Order: sequence, then C-alpha cells, then structure tokens
Amino acid sequence: MVVDPSEFISYGEWLANALGGFVVLALVIFVAWTVIAFALTAIRNTPGQAVSIVGGGLKRAIFEDFPRSSLQRTIGMSRLAIQEAIRNKVLIIFALFVVLLLFAGWFLDVQNDHPARLYLGFVISTSTYLLLALAMFVSSFSLPNDIKNKTIYTITTKPVRAHEIFLGRVLGFGAVGTVLLLLMGIVSYVFVVRGLDHSHTIDTASIEWDEETGLGTGFTSVDSHHRHDFLINRNLEGEGPVGVTEVAQGHSHTIFRDGENYVLGPPTGDLLARVPVYGSLRFLDRYGRESEDGGINPGKEWTYREYIEGNTLSTAIWTFEDLSPEMFSTGPGGDEGVLPLELNLRVFRTTKGDIEGKVRGEILLVNPDKALPVRERYSAPIPFEAEEFQTFQINIDYNDIRKQNPDTAELEKVNLFQDLVTKGSLEVHVRCRDHAQFFGMAQADVYIPAPEGSFEMNFFKCYLGIWMQLVLVTSFGVFFSTFLNGIVAMVATLSIVVMGISSGFIGEVQSGENPGGGPIESLIRNITQQGATVELDMGETATSVIQALDSLYLDTMESVANLAPDFPQFNMASKVAYGYDIHLELILKQITTTLVYFTVLLFAGYFVISSREIAA
Amino acid sequence: MSKSVDDKQDVIIETRNLTKVYKDFWGRPKVNALESLDLEVRRGEIFGLLGPNGSGKSTTIKLILGLLFPTSGQALVFNKEASDVSKNERIGYLPEESYLYKFLNAEETLDFYGRLFNMSAGRRKQRVRDLIKLIDIEWAKRRQLKEYSKGMTRRIGLAQALINDPELIVLDEPTTGLDPIGTREMKELIVRLRDQGKTILMCSHLLADVQDVCDRIAILHQGELKEMGAVENLLSVRDITQIQAKGLSEEAQQQIRSIIESDQADLVSMENPTTTLEDLFLGIVRDSKARPGYNRKRERDQQEPVAAAETTGASDESVDSEDES
Ligand SMILES: Nc1ncnc2c1ncn2[C@@H]1O[C@H](COP(=O)(O)OP(=O)(O)O)[C@@H](O)[C@H]1O
Ligand SMILES: [Mg+2]
Repeated sequence: MVVDPSEFISYGEWLANALGGFVVLALVIFVAWTVIAFALTAIRNTPGQAVSIVGGGLKRAIFEDFPRSSLQRTIGMSRLAIQEAIRNKVLIIFALFVVLLLFAGWFLDVQNDHPARLYLGFVISTSTYLLLALAMFVSSFSLPNDIKNKTIYTITTKPVRAHEIFLGRVLGFGAVGTVLLLLMGIVSYVFVVRGLDHSHTIDTASIEWDEETGLGTGFTSVDSHHRHDFLINRNLEGEGPVGVTEVAQGHSHTIFRDGENYVLGPPTGDLLARVPVYGSLRFLDRYGRESEDGGINPGKEWTYREYIEGNTLSTAIWTFEDLSPEMFSTGPGGDEGVLPLELNLRVFRTTKGDIEGKVRGEILLVNPDKALPVRERYSAPIPFEAEEFQTFQINIDYNDIRKQNPDTAELEKVNLFQDLVTKGSLEVHVRCRDHAQFFGMAQADVYIPAPEGSFEMNFFKCYLGIWMQLVLVTSFGVFFSTFLNGIVAMVATLSIVVMGISSGFIGEVQSGENPGGGPIESLIRNITQQGATVELDMGETATSVIQALDSLYLDTMESVANLAPDFPQFNMASKVAYGYDIHLELILKQITTTLVYFTVLLFAGYFVISSREIAA
Repeated sequence: MSKSVDDKQDVIIETRNLTKVYKDFWGRPKVNALESLDLEVRRGEIFGLLGPNGSGKSTTIKLILGLLFPTSGQALVFNKEASDVSKNERIGYLPEESYLYKFLNAEETLDFYGRLFNMSAGRRKQRVRDLIKLIDIEWAKRRQLKEYSKGMTRRIGLAQALINDPELIVLDEPTTGLDPIGTREMKELIVRLRDQGKTILMCSHLLADVQDVCDRIAILHQGELKEMGAVENLLSVRDITQIQAKGLSEEAQQQIRSIIESDQADLVSMENPTTTLEDLFLGIVRDSKARPGYNRKRERDQQEPVAAAETTGASDESVDSEDES
C-alpha cells in the first residue's frame, strides 16, 4: 500500500499550505468568470455597458441575492430534486447493488488468501462506482432537462435566487445519495461480516497430545474452503480460551472448552483497523554521516522513495515514538512478545546478474538515547531478505534480540523495552548488505502495525469518504449543467474526476520523471523512431523550442488538472481492506477540500445561472 | 407621453425602445423578434398584446419577466429592472404552455411554488386549498400532472401563477387549449382579478379573448407595434353614424333626416358603428404586407390625413380614432 506522503503532514500545516491553493482556485474562477462575462457583454453591447452590467451583477450578488437567501426556498428546491430523483426511480440503483452482491457471493474467489480484503474491496468499490455514476448522471441532466422542458420558466420567475437553484439540486440529490449510501453501507457491512463468518469443528479424538506439556495440536475441519492448524493447552482452567488456531485466509479462531470437546470462536483478525505506528525517516550517507538531503536517487525514478546503497554505511533510520510494552508483549513484564515490523522496500539493482534472487539487508534496533555509550545502544543486526515489490512483515521475537557485550564480545539476550527503548522512543536502522544494490524507501514503508481501533468506525470513515466524493461529483455535475447540456455536462464532470485522478501523472511528466517528454516531443520521437531515453536528435534550437512548447502545454494542463479535486485522496478502500485505521486528520483534510470546492462551485453556479438568458 | 409623478406610480410595466434580436450560436442575427417597443401598462387594467403567431408577443412577455435579455432598450416592472429577481415577489406568470413538473400532483405543485415565495406552512396550506377550489380541480388534486388533460394543466398553471396573490399577472395565451366553457370561465376570472385591483398583461392571437376582456390593447405584427389604444376607441368608426329606430312609418322614414334634426323620433341608438377587431386586425396585416414599415399608430399620432385609400380597403381607411387619452 502506497501511502501518500502528504498524509504525514498534520492538518494545521496542510491547511496553511492548502489555503494558498484554495485562494488561487477561487481567484482563477472569479477572474475567469469576470473576463468571460465582460467579453460576452462587451460583444453584445458596448464595453462601457459591459462594465456597468458586470459590475451591477457583482453588486447585486453581494448586496441583494446572497443576503436574501431563504432556507424555505432552498428546502423547496431540494425537495423538488428529491422528488425528481425518486420519481426517476434512482432507488433502482440500490436494487442493482443488492443483486450484484448476491451474484458476487458466487463469483468472488472463495479460495482467496484474504477473503476479507476481497470482499471489502468489492463492496466498497461497487458502492463507490454505482453511486458516483448515478450522481454524475442525475446531477448533469436535471437542470438541462428543466431548461429543455421550460419548467425553469416557472422557477426563475419566482423570487428564487440563482444560488438556491444550485443549492437545491446539490442538497436534494445529495440527500438521496446519502440515503442510498447508507443503505449500501449497511448491506455491505452485513454482506462482509456474514460472508466471512464461519466456524470449524475439532475432532477431539484426532488431537495429538504432548503428555509432558499438556499441549495438543491438530487440524480443524475444512469449512469455507480452508482449515487451520491449532494449538490447545489442556492444563488451562476456567471459562477463558484454551488455545488458538494458526492464521489461514487472513484470520484465526480462539478455542474454548465445551465439556469434553473443544469449540472455535468466530473468525478474528480479518476485519481490523490497525493504527500503524509510523516513524520519522532520516538517512546516513555511504560514509555513515548524517545526510542533509535524504537518500540517494540512483535513477530517474519518481522521488516518492529515496535509496540507500548496499554494502556501505548508507542507512535509513526510522525513529518511532510512544511505544509501550502493552502494544506488543504477550507475557508479563514485557519479556515475551514480538515487535512486528512491516517493510515495503523497493529493490533497485545496478548490476545485471541474478535478477530473480533476493537482496539481503539487516535491521538494527538502536536506543536513541545519545547519552549512552555507542556500543550499548546498538542491537546485533537482524538479517532479512527483500524481494522486489513485496511487502513483508518481520516479527522480531523478543527472545531473538541480542546485544554484543562490550567486554566479552558475546551476544547476550536483552530486554527490548528496558535496554533499547528510551521514553517510548526507538530507532530502527535499515541497511542493504549487497554491493551495488539499493533499497528504496519512503516514510510510510516501515511501520509497526499495532492492533487498535474499531473496524466499524473505520468502515464508516471509508463510506464518509465516498459520501464526500458524492458531494463533489454532484456539485460539479450541477455546476456544469448550468451552462452545458446534459451529456456534455456529464462528460465534463467525468473529466474532472479523471483529471483529479491523473494530476499526479501530469506532475511526473513535468518533472522529467516520466521519460520521453511532453506530447510534442513524444510525437516526434514516435515518428522518428527515437527511444524515450536518448537525447532528442534534432539540433539544439529545435529541441529547445519543442521542449519549451511542451512545458508550456504541460504547465497549462497541470494547472487545469490541479484545479480538480484530488479524488484518490478520498478513496480509502485499501486502508479498510488492509486493515489500517483511517486517521482522523485525513478525514478533516477531505472535509475541508469538499467544503472549499462546494463553496467555489456554489458561487460559480450562481453567476452562471444569474447571467444566463434562460429562454434563449 | 409625459406624465406626472403620480402617474409614474401607477405605471406597472414600462418598456422603452425594447428590442430583441435572436442570434444564432455564432452571434449572427437570426430573427428580429421585437423592434423598439414602447408601452406602458397601468395599475388596475387588463392590457392585451394581440398579434398573429410569431409576432413577438411571448418575446415581449419574456423580456418583461427577465427570461430574456433585451438586445437594446429596457423593460421596467414596478420600476425595477426586469433582471431583478426581487420584482418576482409581486408577479404571477402563466407561461405559453403550462411548464410544470409532471411528476408532482396538484397539491404538491402548488405547495412547491408556495415555498418559493417563502410562505409559512399554514399560509401555504390555506392558499393551496383555496386555489384548488378556484380552479375546480378538487377531484384530481392527488393525481400526477402527467395524467392531466390540457385544460386541467392550464388551470393548474393559472393557480400556480396566483399562489402569491400577485399584483401583476402575466398571462401568455391564457385560453389556448381550453374548451368554450373553460374559455368563458377564464375570461370571467381575468375580469374578476382586475376588479380585485390586480393588473393584468395578457397576450393572445385570439381576437375574441382580447375584445371581450381587455381594457387596452397593443397590436404587434412581425415584432412591430402597429396599433395601441383603448379597445372601444380603436373599434369605433367616427365618420359614420348608425341609427337604429323602431316603428318608423314609411313617411317618417322619408323624413328621417328632418325628424332627426328636429329630435322627435323615438331614437333607439345613435352612434358610430364599430368595426370588429377582426376587421381591424386583418386590415393591419394587409397594410403592413403591402407597405412594410407602415405604422398606423404613428400615422395617427402625427395626425396626418389617412392616405391609404389606393392600397387599402374602405373599412380600414375609415378606422381612425383619437389617440388614447
Ligand atoms: N428562442 C428563440 N430563438 C430564435 N427565435 C425565436 C425564439 N423564440 C421565438 N423566436 C422567433 O421570434 C419570433 C417571435 O416569437 P414569439 O415571441 O414566440 O411570437 P408569439 O408569441 O407572438 O407567437 C418568431 O419568429 C419566432 O420564431
Ligand atoms: Mg407566443
């Protein structure tokens, strides 16, 4: 899972940055509107009249129309939109959704390693696509239909203000969408929980007992296409669990005693909302010195990740804060337990050769307390092997953590929290062992997954994200429909969604991270059959002209694309499916973004509607 | 046309040099729908716009309501720009066809429009009940409008125009689609509304409508104002006197001139005969076809002798009345 680096920026910082962007967005739209309005009026009348008409329009907006907004009228317009949507049978979408889920019960791969991820991914994306497609459709066609049927005549000749027409549509369709989404969310939740729910039986006779320890092992029955290994301790007394199964298909069961028999509890561990504990990241260069400018960038790869070089002192250091024994240990006193570290390292090879093989690395756990002697601070290296494009978890058993005794040079067992963690803070150093190989990493790539948070809450936050996308799409749909006809408005709304998704790509081409250049350069390369990575063979002047044109084009495209909301930011399906808690600050950022777009579109919609000649 | 300050308050609608040219997508002129229209509608009168189809009546109304923007000139309603939304508080508008939401029923429709006037729930309920009774549609008030006949739709359209108890009612072809009884009722209602002190601007291509109910009319043809004035003035033929008498002997009839002069006959009526509006109307159409740009009213205003004898029929020629006072 790639975590957007911006997620590490706190809400306050983000807002301070974003505020500038929002102001620009508002200004661009305002200036664009004024220029267009002025130009159109100047053509129709004289420039002198244009000034007074456009100026008068502004004055009326500020001093009359907005102050005279009426809740009653807005409710009236919203109710109309709701009635329109209902009479247009949009609730059929819900029926379609239910039918899809019923079929999905058969289609979804039952042998999947992670049915929970599959189910969640399916229900969330199905809800999102159905709902957004519906919102796009309903919002783009409503106002153009009113204009075509001329029902708008009976609206604009009433004291309805232009923004109330916009607001009524967005609120009305938003309300219908909200109800649909709620229904979908409930059905989805039930579908996932019911779909995953199952139990196994244990045949008591087949348990293999170790007479000495009283521990029993065996297999459960096969249910829902899988079975579990299990471990039971028959010496445990009382009502509590007496054992646990191994993880299969992403979950395990707790085992209880039931008279002479053993029974399994419901599946656990597949619907999680872990709060990943992220650390801050810094780098040491190849000589082991603190690096000012982060890691190395060996290729023209996108700079989301920075690299450390193999077989040098080049090191990536994560500093984790606020760790406590309760988070990981299972035994009393923090003696027993595992420190789970999830790694998602990018492997970059400079030597040809064993492409298939893994690249070796090592982890050192380091006490950040600089007051201690250096030798006391470092644990012995814990080796690992990394494969390309693989996320893997290293469970560092407390018993495996060793430190070299400075006197005897022997490796001795240490206690993680007593010896290495100072005030809840721990450094994790990652190095690459293999010469001329690199590990690439970003801040989110190494973290400690802590079992935390309520899955239901997480699920709800994810649907809240869909809801905000609904509001955005509806606002854009209604806005475009104030001056475009239905189909064109829908295409325009769709392009906003696509632009919002692809704005990252435009940024990449721009910064040279996508080789081959902009559209003109690529076209020439295509025609002349020149590869994307060699210098363009055109002569210096021609090349620079082409590249200047390209960058102008890309600049324009980028600023247009940047006007579109960042839709992927709202899609939190992978977080829910992979069981990561959705941070509240992320939701806050989304709410802010949604509000800003909604407001800007409300004003823009007002000006378009009120300057439009309805009956022309 | 100068008026005192008092007069000014009684002018509900005023258009000055109002002109509309429909343009195509590229801004090229397509239709000259209205040319330099000057008119005034005063408080408490029924003002009729009369003209054949396509003469610019609906265009005028839409300009007055702000549904269209003038190409040049100005339309003022209650002394406010037509584009000012707040004027709509005091206006009711019945469009050419009743463009209503087909998925609503009669009650929902009226309730919806009531909300647009910020009316309280109680007031709305009362108003909806009254209006449904007025348009006599009680029996169908819960049916969706898509099931309504044309006449019923027209009536509910009128009800929505009256929801706010407006001072000015603008009716675009109010009787089209109505049967003779419906037409009769509609006309009676219009007169009743006028009697309640409301101002009514209506347009129609049906002469009978206008003749029966309007106090003053303007005749449009191809976007130009051809005639305007009080109905009885426009229709009276001044240089002919019509005498109707009963029980005159042959002898007396021969002596009619002297009898009248001596004022001893049983005079039943003695007046200028009226032409029908139809005659007037057809005459205007004939005139302007034969002489494009000819404006009867302007001619009359300039008090020039009618000199159209060689091109127009006798009845037209005889139409000459004083300007409206
Ligand atoms: N939206 C429009 N676009 C272009 N031409 C129009 C439009 N509306 C009306 N017209 C034209 O303007 C003229 C006047 O139309 P209109 O005012 O509707 O006439 P009336 O209501 O008197 O029948 C007609 O020639 C008509 O075709
Ligand atoms: Mg018309």
